[in-house]
Amino acid sequence: MKRIVIADDSSTARMFIKRCLDIIGLGDAEIVEAEHGKEALAAAKAEPTDLLLTDLNMPVMDGETLLKWVKASPKLCEMPVVIITSAGNPAKEQELLELGALKVLNKPVAPPMLMEALESFIDD
Amino acid sequence: MPHQDTALYKAMLDAVRQTFENMAFVEVTEQPEEIDLQIPTEAAWVSILIHDPVQGEVRLAMPQLLLQEMTADMFGIGNDEVTENQRQDIIAEILNTLAGLFMTNLLPDDQTYQLGLPEHGEGPIPANEEGSVIWNLQIEGTPLLLVASGIGLTTENH
Repeated sequence: MKRIVIADDSSTARMFIKRCLDIIGLGDAEIVEAEHGKEALAAAKAEPTDLLLTDLNMPVMDGETLLKWVKASPKLCEMPVVIITSAGNPAKEQELLELGALKVLNKPVAPPMLMEALESFIDD
Repeated sequence: MPHQDTALYKAMLDAVRQTFENMAFVEVTEQPEEIDLQIPTEAAWVSILIHDPVQGEVRLAMPQLLLQEMTADMFGIGNDEVTENQRQDIIAEILNTLAGLFMTNLLPDDQTYQLGLPEHGEGPIPANEEGSVIWNLQIEGTPLLLVASGIGLTTENH
């Protein structure tokens, strides 16, 4: 069973992402919810995690800092990170891809967007 | 040029429509000029700051009942099961999403921007700052109010 960490300070956003995961066939994955980057980082370190979906704008630790921590960690650096944000545009997307994000998706997220972004992940 | 024809006005209108349609499955339209739907003073409201590249604020207000019904629909629960936390989270996430779309619509592709975190308002909706841009909208006859303020943000609209 895949393990997926979702980091977003909004329970509404996390609910939408979970619904999307369910629709695209990842409903049986173990979902771990985190309200900010620090919590997500701890969750990802606690047990082997297959995927991290994170917002950018969060209190305590934002998504960009989380991405940098993940990519700097020998233990976590291979874990795919998908950014789902309301604060993304092509310039920001490029910055985040250069930092190692797998994909950058704009809110409101929809199942087809997530399906396309996670195509290779789902096929594994 | 009428303010409804400005890039700023259209950017917000598009962002609002897209956000509400995709998140709450409801259609947002402009209020017809001959109809003056008033937001009640005890409405739910939330604001978000734009930190960069200009400094501004966007505020969203809607009647408590509309927020209650939307929250129930979005969480798939009964109206009487909705909690205050859920209501606050929904209106904050809606504003967060539409503010991001608004800035994406408004700015060139190579321009990044930074938003703050949504903050819930308490008490009556504050008076609008001078120079604010106002979107008087509706969802099936229920008013929805958006206000953008901040000289750097709204200057081009006047």
